[in-house]
Amino acid sequence: MSELSRYAAGLSRRRLLQGSAGLGLSGLGGMPAMAQGAPWAAVPRGKVDKLNFVVWTYGDIYTKIAAKFREDWGVPVESTISAFNDHPPKLMSMFAGGDAIDVSQSSPYSFWNFVSQGLVEPVSDMPGAAEYVADMTDMMKTVAVHNGKLMGMPYFSTTWVWNYFEPLLEKAKFEPFKTYDELLEQSRKAKRDKISEYPIFWVAGIGLEQLPGTWLQMTHNKGGVFFDKAGNHQLGPGSIARETLKWWVQTFTEGLADPESLKQQFVGSAKAFSGGTNLYRGPNHHYTLQVANDPTQSPNAGKIKVMDSPGDGRTIGTAHVYFVTTANRNKEWAWKLLQYLGGKTKDGQYSQAINLARDAMLGSGYNSVMNSEAISKGWAPYGDVPKILEIWKKTTFVGEVCNSMYKPWHFPWSDRLNIEVQNALTGQISADVCCDRLIAAIRQVQRG
Amino acid sequence: MSAGAIDGRGGRAAPAHRFGRDLPPWLLGIVMNVPTLIVLALVLAYPIYYAGYLSLHRVSLVQLRTGVFPFVGLDNYEKVLTDPLFLLSLGNTMIFTAFVVAVEVVAAVAIAILINQQDIWTSRITRFLILLPYAVPPIANGLIWAFIYNGKTGFLNRLLYSVGAIDGPIDWTANPDTALFAVAIPYIWRTLPFAVLLAHAALQGISKELYEAASVDGAGAWHRFRHITLPLLMPVIVVLLVLRTSFAVAVFDEILAITQGGPGDATWVASWYSYRKGFAPPFDIGAGAASAFILALIVAALALVYVKLLYRRVD
Repeated sequence: MSELSRYAAGLSRRRLLQGSAGLGLSGLGGMPAMAQGAPWAAVPRGKVDKLNFVVWTYGDIYTKIAAKFREDWGVPVESTISAFNDHPPKLMSMFAGGDAIDVSQSSPYSFWNFVSQGLVEPVSDMPGAAEYVADMTDMMKTVAVHNGKLMGMPYFSTTWVWNYFEPLLEKAKFEPFKTYDELLEQSRKAKRDKISEYPIFWVAGIGLEQLPGTWLQMTHNKGGVFFDKAGNHQLGPGSIARETLKWWVQTFTEGLADPESLKQQFVGSAKAFSGGTNLYRGPNHHYTLQVANDPTQSPNAGKIKVMDSPGDGRTIGTAHVYFVTTANRNKEWAWKLLQYLGGKTKDGQYSQAINLARDAMLGSGYNSVMNSEAISKGWAPYGDVPKILEIWKKTTFVGEVCNSMYKPWHFPWSDRLNIEVQNALTGQISADVCCDRLIAAIRQVQRG
Repeated sequence: MSAGAIDGRGGRAAPAHRFGRDLPPWLLGIVMNVPTLIVLALVLAYPIYYAGYLSLHRVSLVQLRTGVFPFVGLDNYEKVLTDPLFLLSLGNTMIFTAFVVAVEVVAAVAIAILINQQDIWTSRITRFLILLPYAVPPIANGLIWAFIYNGKTGFLNRLLYSVGAIDGPIDWTANPDTALFAVAIPYIWRTLPFAVLLAHAALQGISKELYEAASVDGAGAWHRFRHITLPLLMPVIVVLLVLRTSFAVAVFDEILAITQGGPGDATWVASWYSYRKGFAPPFDIGAGAASAFILALIVAALALVYVKLLYRRVD
């Protein structure tokens, strides 16, 4: 049974009624106090002095949403905001220390771990949950629905795209490459002709989805996976993943790849690329175009273009979520706050999702937002929206390519992956040794 | 006689029961140390004991929240000691520590001697300036140096290129051959003032008469340093070695700010390993504590070696 059908089977009649109440399809009879009127506008039961969320930083979106929540409901919201990489330890230490945490957020890589460790409160039974799920994209449902229960609500979705720097391509008289061989040929020529010292800027900085994402995306684009559906690794000799890595290493060996790539994550790489010295930037989150094409952040705003991946253009995507923690003060109030971050505000709008699309070029986990002007007009200043949406249609959730992320050992294995692949990219070891070590590491991390 | 009474000579008598007057020295010593012992027990001994306790138990998020820690014996130690990444991290830690401590001790003594020159007025300014890095927070220090090292826009490359020392930009922190040392330099820059302070304080305690007598006997600068300064500095050098080793072994902030262990495993050090074990999913705090304990034992062993070897020479 799929996650979705399990979810549908798990919905009680009462929950469906609660959901339909949000649409105004049912009367008030039999509904809890919270469901009087649209669920996002109803007052939760119980009283709380305050609420809080523990999140990673992104501009001032959390300051704004906390103020909006207080204005609408009269309840102050405290925020604990860390850097992205510091978020799991911060959340973990607060949870372990017995602090109250109403709402937090997670990447898909941590989420299954958080669920398995009892950190995440299911919210399937909350008013309006069914309606939210009905509007979620398939990719978001894959992350948010766990064993038939709604565990999280959408933060954002993204797809991996390629970027190119138009002035240098014009100078070199290149068309955006269509194959990986063509990428190599163009890069060699650009280097030889001194158009670019390092034609390719990869996103190869250490991270959960930065360096691993680049390898995963190219492997998937060439038709491969890291693990098959039964969980068997696909990293052995002759595998697509291994051959992809060999090709990737070659770009460093030949001096075509910018060494700075090894230190940069998504936003950092966008800023570095916007310096205008490289031709191409390797597959990475689409929304970093917002950084590269923002005149206040980039000296080459408007000149960084988006392009398809080679071949049939298939790519990977991911979805991040907000969730109510089991350490919440009051589940109904926590659900209310969760909706402000990952659902609708009191006025029935997906305020946060719309703002994230307009301000940060983030994709939404809701179909209705993805099909709205928040995307078609909100993204327009930063990139070719029809092109990105076309790429979006060819996007597969990253977990389909690397299903170890559903396992508790994925994190330590991901650490090893970052280490060994960087060792390979810097010439310390061969791609074969790298893959062999990663295969051995699977057994080791599975032992715990 | 009551406290504060007038004695026979018209003066005020000492209080008969003034605190400590009636206590035997051994008891007074204990009483005077009790506050310190209590503080140390609370802020040092208990956390160390608790970390040791955690290292013998399975501890993750669930166990921390419930407070129930299943006993696993030495499993965590076995897990850590058979992990090639831990062994590699230990190796990197030892290289880092040896480099940092050697440079710091030599540089600290040299700088202390320079700023101890009373007749050179600039030494007073240097004495002040040398302390400045100590006021920089470790993370800020790491970030500053990350900018300095930047392969494309960093100041270091610009400087070296302008004087002809390099032909093109070098990405110091992205190169596995230079990354560990690239992290060591900011660490030394930040912590050297402490070592200079200690060495300088010790230098000020050496009697000038010794140098004057040696000069009268015809000893040159090197001989005065070799036979007067160095032997008398040796106790402080031992302290420096012990302290700097124990701190360098635990280097973390610069790693976090500059390389996060990369490229590859080039800058994975033991404390970074413990942090990743304990504070990244799946939050294996038991194994993290075990790795930290192993590190502590290594530091203790190194401290013993220093004391045994060098104090003997001082005697």
